[in-house]
Amino acid sequence: MVHLLQILINGLASGAVYALFALGYTLVFSVLGVINFAQGAMFTIGGYLTYLLIGGAVGANGLLAGWQLPVSLPFWLALALAGAGSALVGLGVEAMAFRPLRQRNAEPLLYLISSLGAGVVLVNLVQLLMGAESYSIPTSTLAALPSALALGGAQIRTVQVLLLLVATLLVALLTLWLEGSRGGKALQAVAEDPVTARLLGIDSGAMIRLAFALSGFLAGVAGGLVGLSVSIAGPYFGIGYGLKGLGVLVLGGLGSVPGAVLGGLIVGLAEALVPSELSGYKDGVAFAILFLVLLLRPQGLLGKPVASKV
Amino acid sequence: MSDLSLLVQMGFGALLALSVYLPLRCGQLSLATPGFYVIGGYVAALLSTSWSALSGDGAGYPLTSLALELVVAALVAAAVALVLGRPVLQLRGIYLAIATIALVEILRVLNLNLAWSGGAVGIFGIPQPFAGPGGYALATWVLLALVCWLCARLEDMRLGRAMAAIRDDELAARCMGIPSADVKLTAFVISAVIAALTGVLAAHFLNTWNARQGGFDASITTLAFVVFGGSRIWLGPVLGGLVITALPELLRPVGDLRLILFGLVILLGPILFPQGLITPERLARLQQTL
Repeated sequence: MVHLLQILINGLASGAVYALFALGYTLVFSVLGVINFAQGAMFTIGGYLTYLLIGGAVGANGLLAGWQLPVSLPFWLALALAGAGSALVGLGVEAMAFRPLRQRNAEPLLYLISSLGAGVVLVNLVQLLMGAESYSIPTSTLAALPSALALGGAQIRTVQVLLLLVATLLVALLTLWLEGSRGGKALQAVAEDPVTARLLGIDSGAMIRLAFALSGFLAGVAGGLVGLSVSIAGPYFGIGYGLKGLGVLVLGGLGSVPGAVLGGLIVGLAEALVPSELSGYKDGVAFAILFLVLLLRPQGLLGKPVASKV
Repeated sequence: MSDLSLLVQMGFGALLALSVYLPLRCGQLSLATPGFYVIGGYVAALLSTSWSALSGDGAGYPLTSLALELVVAALVAAAVALVLGRPVLQLRGIYLAIATIALVEILRVLNLNLAWSGGAVGIFGIPQPFAGPGGYALATWVLLALVCWLCARLEDMRLGRAMAAIRDDELAARCMGIPSADVKLTAFVISAVIAALTGVLAAHFLNTWNARQGGFDASITTLAFVVFGGSRIWLGPVLGGLVITALPELLRPVGDLRLILFGLVILLGPILFPQGLITPERLARLQQTL
């Protein structure tokens, strides 16, 4: 029998990844009121960059076949740099798909399409360069750490524990920064009311760029972590996670940071509790929960109710 | 792919675009279209492969059976849309969009796992009512013409005007006595029926049907048809559906770059043509010059 503690840690670990992902969506949503559908592509890019930076070689397909970086960085450094790379991609997405529309006060629907287009471009660029095969980040990159820990009679993969720790750390840092620093307060002010924020001397354009960079970073790190704990299942693997992250986001409540974390943990745990003989249904769990919650509580678990204006 | 096959696919694209367009005409961003498309496909696949009375005397699959499938698929889709529509259409904006994405995903996971849908393998050997792509092209474009006629008629009918009023301001429309919940539900049901009819034709055309048909990608691509072509008049989604479906094929000469270019078109479309390619104003100007 699989130990309950093992199920719990697995659930929390995958929930933490969903939470990271949903936080990225939330940051952009809170400042712009729109969803960035290219987020899944940034997750993909984070995974591939991590793989390349630890010195992994490109497979036989794709333009870069056989190529490999001359250096091989330790995993943590590679993960941080991959996050930074995804943050840059996030800035690029903002400049290409969002800023031109923002300058014209376009309706939200258009952002959805243009960001999706950006995602299609990025994912296919990765496919063109690195081929459609899947890559895995060997856990041996973690060097000295044992592959599993014995905890109260359960065997727990070290990777899962690390995933949980890193995600918790990032969420804590983000919350501290949002609540405690000038920059974080400025971002919240833009989220609350961009016009007033501008009157108060806050550069809302810079804050929006910051939100994109941060969400790119979070998505990139999540991609690297999933690459380590599962594998990088081809360039489209971010899209599936992106869709589930979207579900998590709405489940917790759009624009709510604690909501994104709560939603991630609920979905992660619920998926881990699906018995193995029904594992085929696992991917439907998040959406079934989401659908029920939306019908009972349309603003999500921790979202503010939307006041209808008269 | 032969030219006629491409013509069939383009027709499917235009039909699905109109299915997304109808709820959008009353301001409802519903992405459930691929779900109903999948339902239509399974109805066709299950009926035509399992019901031996339908499969005729071996001299080809009878057209009357195809017609029967279309009726059954329309009824099933309408029933599902009626049941789901009430609760779902109470949601607004992005919440409605995501709830409908959730529905499509739940349906996909169910189809992937349940026995009657053939699981991950799907259903094979769907009989062919037409000898070649020509017959399919004819059937698809006849259906498309019918749906276009319906949408064009709608613009002059009380229902169509009520839809436009709800899109502009739902509260004001309700104050004018428009039963907004009923109008939205009607649009949702018609949209579901169009998608299901398209699914029936697609299942026969593809000869096989499985859970990979119509996922999240399809939701977004069909929405792109509408936004690209223009969501204010029915001609917009039709053009968007035709052009964007043909695009990856037209771009085939550029090889590996084609999906990147496809993405660029979707990225730049909303920026260059925020109203879509076809707007009522542009159409009026065009009519004046002709």
